[in-house]
Amino acid sequence: MPMYGDLGNKLVQHAKRTQILPHLPPYQTELVRTVTREVRDLHRDVDSLLEPFQGSFDPAADPASACTLLVNHLSMRRNKRCLLAYHRTRTEKLEVLVWNGSDVLDLSAQQAGGANGVPGANDGGTSSLSPQEEDYVRQYGDLLAAYKGQWTDVDLTGSLEPARDLFIDVRVLKDAGEIQTEYGAINLTKNSQFYVRQGDVERLIAQGYLQKLG
Amino acid sequence: MSYYDVDSILTDAEKIPCTFQFDIPDLGYLENNPGQTLKTGARVGLPLWLAEMLAIANTGGIGPDDQGKSFVAFDLPPALGNDVMQALKADPRAIPIRDQSAHFYSLATHMMDLSDEPELGTVLRKTFVTRAGEIALHARKAGGGGSSKGGASEEGSNLGVGGAGEEFLRGLDEWERKLFRKAHDGARAGKEWMEGVKKF
Repeated sequence: MPMYGDLGNKLVQHAKRTQILPHLPPYQTELVRTVTREVRDLHRDVDSLLEPFQGSFDPAADPASACTLLVNHLSMRRNKRCLLAYHRTRTEKLEVLVWNGSDVLDLSAQQAGGANGVPGANDGGTSSLSPQEEDYVRQYGDLLAAYKGQWTDVDLTGSLEPARDLFIDVRVLKDAGEIQTEYGAINLTKNSQFYVRQGDVERLIAQGYLQKLG
Repeated sequence: MSYYDVDSILTDAEKIPCTFQFDIPDLGYLENNPGQTLKTGARVGLPLWLAEMLAIANTGGIGPDDQGKSFVAFDLPPALGNDVMQALKADPRAIPIRDQSAHFYSLATHMMDLSDEPELGTVLRKTFVTRAGEIALHARKAGGGGSSKGGASEEGSNLGVGGAGEEFLRGLDEWERKLFRKAHDGARAGKEWMEGVKKF
């Protein structure tokens, strides 16, 4: 039998799964909406229960109503906690992804099941982020860029692994257009191979355009 | 246990048996009878988040029988019942506690906050200590990092370890699983570091 708080619990189970997954699963728009609606319904119930008392409700005189009110109140509080925990779990994940070099386009194009998004394939409605989350990622990305901008000689989001070689072989997995390097422009077309400076292509490797060889 | 802690929230969803001590006209739906009165003495399994507050709330009842009575009285959930406790006393390693509750220890500590169960604490402490040793053992083996064999099949599921350990590991609750993962990752990281050192 469905009970108040059951749907909120479902949301938290989604959050639990999100913690383990490498990518961010689609935002549960419908579930979030239903839980919020449940809170609104409960609130209305409370209001109508209290209405005849004209603001002078005495719990001791009417324990039955007091109990119903308490149950409603607790259910709302529970739903609130579930909603907050769900969104916070996702937000934390998004922050990690932004630090790892994803931007809004990568993330919103990302489908459940695929660890790496296909940029440009975002045809609306398929985003795994809610509009608010997209906004959050954009602004968090701006903040991070501003923070990183203070140090021009250190890349805060660069790899922590010390590079063994300055130059590496890479294979192009997806067309990535032309990039500018110290040694001139390289046109990255699919299936071609290059010997490039690691620092120039690190981000493209992280985004899944290039594959490191050897 | 943070407000946002997902495991803590899921623990609070565990149901515990409650007995209502009042007639409540509007709560029949809890007993699967929407629109009916929930009668005094009705036994309903309520999630911890609800049961806890209903059990400790002061009803302020004014009737002679209602003085200091809470809305519900609760019992220990079956997961912490006598049968399970006796079995744990006999051999803590033989019980898949996950089948009792995925958040077994978390549920138990919560219940001990609510009611005075000194024996429960003793049994659980012994259970955890015994099982933790076993978990550490499996975690080392699972990494394939033992001194005898090289690291075979390290990647992949922590739990598909194979052999006799599989049954035991499947029965771990969430807390124990975390412990297992930490022990496993720790052992592996230690081994990796040792191997790295030799190269220089």
